[in-house]
Amino acid sequence: MSVRIETIRECLEGIIPGHIATCDAEGMPNLAYLSQVQFIDNEHVALSYQFFNRTRQNVLAGSPVRLLLTSHLSGAQYRLTLRYLRTETAGPLFEQMKAKLAGIASHTGMSDVFRLLGSDVYRILGIEQVPGPTVPPPPPPVNYLTALRRATQRLAGCGTLECLLETALDCLDDEFGIGHVMLLMHDDGRGRLYTLASRGYPESGIGSEIPVGAGVIGICARERTPIRIGFMTSEYAYGRTVRDSIAADGDADALETAIPLPGLPDARSQLAVPITAFDRLTGVLYVESVADLHFGYDDEDALVAFAAQLGLAIQHHQQAEELAEEPLSPENAAPVVAGSPLAVRHFGATDSVFLDDDYLIKGVAGAILWALLTDFVERHRTSFTNKGLRVDSRIRLPGVSDNLEARLVLLQRRLDERDAGIRLAKTGRGRFSLSVSRPLQLLEG
Amino acid sequence: MLDSDNIAFIQAGVSISLAACGPDRLASMSRGMGCKVLDGGRRVGVFVKRSQSAELLENIRRSGKVANVFSLPSSNRTVQLKGVDAQVQPFDPADFSIVEAHVADFVTEVLPLGLPEEVVRTLFACAAEDLATVVYSPCAAFSQTPGPKAGEPLGAAR
Repeated sequence: MSVRIETIRECLEGIIPGHIATCDAEGMPNLAYLSQVQFIDNEHVALSYQFFNRTRQNVLAGSPVRLLLTSHLSGAQYRLTLRYLRTETAGPLFEQMKAKLAGIASHTGMSDVFRLLGSDVYRILGIEQVPGPTVPPPPPPVNYLTALRRATQRLAGCGTLECLLETALDCLDDEFGIGHVMLLMHDDGRGRLYTLASRGYPESGIGSEIPVGAGVIGICARERTPIRIGFMTSEYAYGRTVRDSIAADGDADALETAIPLPGLPDARSQLAVPITAFDRLTGVLYVESVADLHFGYDDEDALVAFAAQLGLAIQHHQQAEELAEEPLSPENAAPVVAGSPLAVRHFGATDSVFLDDDYLIKGVAGAILWALLTDFVERHRTSFTNKGLRVDSRIRLPGVSDNLEARLVLLQRRLDERDAGIRLAKTGRGRFSLSVSRPLQLLEG
Repeated sequence: MLDSDNIAFIQAGVSISLAACGPDRLASMSRGMGCKVLDGGRRVGVFVKRSQSAELLENIRRSGKVANVFSLPSSNRTVQLKGVDAQVQPFDPADFSIVEAHVADFVTEVLPLGLPEEVVRTLFACAAEDLATVVYSPCAAFSQTPGPKAGEPLGAAR
C-alpha cells in the first residue's frame, strides 16, 4: 500500500465530502456522497449506513467499493479501494460514528434525516494518490509527540493524587493548548461519574455528576471509547442528557443535581476520552471548544495516550495511599475555637451534609465528612488515615474499587470552595488532618 | 429527461463527480471540472482531467456506462444521472470558459463554508490540454438529496 490511511486522516472528517462509487451486477455504476469515514486502523475504515440505498444494495450484492477523498488542507485527492466485511449496530465503533454523525447532521441541517443504522466495516485494499497539484498543508497547531512527552514527564514527577490532577490539567493547557477541561471519576457502584477537577469554567463544578451512558461523557464511559463531535449538537449536550436521564429513570435523588456541571453552553467541538487502568474504567477526561472541528484524530490519539498514563498514575497513587504504613503522629488536641457556631446537618438516608443550611456534599464523601466531624466533636480527634476510614463501619465504602483517595480529594475541594471553616489537609501518605476554625453544632436529619 | 430547473442546477456551482466500472465491477471516479448541456438536455458533456482519469476513461471506452452526480454544498441538493452511451471526446478549447466559470461559481459556493480558497483553486487547477469531455445521454435521473425521497426518480422526488 503506497499511502497509509493514518497519514491522511484529515480527509476522513468530511470537510470536503468524500465520494463512494459502486457497481451493480449489470455493470452500471452508482455514485454517492459520504457523510463520514471512520478510521479504525491502517487496514480498516467504517462508513455510515443511514439509508438502504443503491450503494448499499450494490455493496451487499458483492460490489467492490471505491472512495474518492480530498484533503481540505492540501487539496490532495486519494482513491481508496475497499472490500465490505461486516456491519456493526452497537458497541464502541457504532457509538463513535453515531455521535459524530449527530454533529454533522446538526451542522448541515439534517438532524431529522441522518440517523445511523449501522457502521459498515471495510478492509482497505489499496490507496492511491490522484495526480495533481497540491498546496503545502499548514503546520499543525501542536507537535503532539512533544506535547505528550512533556506531559507524561510532568505526570511522573507527581507525589500525590492531588498534585497529579492539577498537573494533568496544567499539561492539557500548557502542552496541548486545551483550555476547557473536566476530569471525572467513575463511581462504579452507582453508575455515575463525578467531577473531580476542571479548568476554564466560571464554576469548578467539583462534585457534579453525570450518569454513565448520558451525553458525550457518559457514552464514552459506557463504551470505554473516545467520543469526538466536531459540531454543536443538542442531542449530545450533557445538560440535556442529564435532565432526560433523570426524567427517564425518576432517580433524581440518586444523582447529584445540586452542583451544576461546568461546561461551555455553546461548545461546538467535544472530545471525551476514557481513563482506564488494568481493564477498569477509572474516569473520563473531557475537553471542549467553541470552534467547529477543533479536535481531530491527532488530538484524540494524543489524549488517549495521555489518559493511559494518567490512569496508571491515578491507580498507583490510590494504591500507595492504601498501602501506607506510616504511624499516626501524636494527636494534638484540637485548639479551642471561638466565634459563631457552624451548623452541620446530616441526612442519613443519602449521607447529605449541609453547612448552615447550604448543601455541601452527599454519598460516600458525605458519610466520610460526618464521621470525621463526629470524631472531632466527641473525641477532639484531628488526625485520620485512609486505612482507618476503610474499616470504619459508619462510612460503608462500596469496595476495593471505591476510589477512596479520589473521594477525599473531592471532599477537600468542596470544603475549600465553601470556605466555611472546615478543611482537610494531607499530612503524609495515607494520612490527613482535619482543621476546624469555628465551633461546630452537629445535627442529625 | 432534464427539465430547465435541473439543466440550470447541474451548471451552477455544484460539485461534480463521474464514475464508470471496470470488468471486475471496480468503479473509478474523477472530479468534474464543469459540464455543458447539449441538445436541450438530451445529452450532457462533463469535463475531466485526463491525468487524473486514466482508469475512468478506459472504463467508459469499454462499457459506455456512467454515473454522474451533481451536488450543491450549501443546500445538499443532489442529482444523479446515469448513461449507457458515454463517449470520450477531445476537449474543445472553446469550452474552457465554461470550466473557468464553473470554478469561479464553485469557489463562491464553498468559501462561506470555510474552505480555504487556495485549496479549492488548486483542486480545480487545470489546463485545456489535459481535459477530456465525456458525453452521454442521461437515461435515468434520481434525486439524491439526503432524506426519505433520496433515490427516487427525479420527477417523483420533486
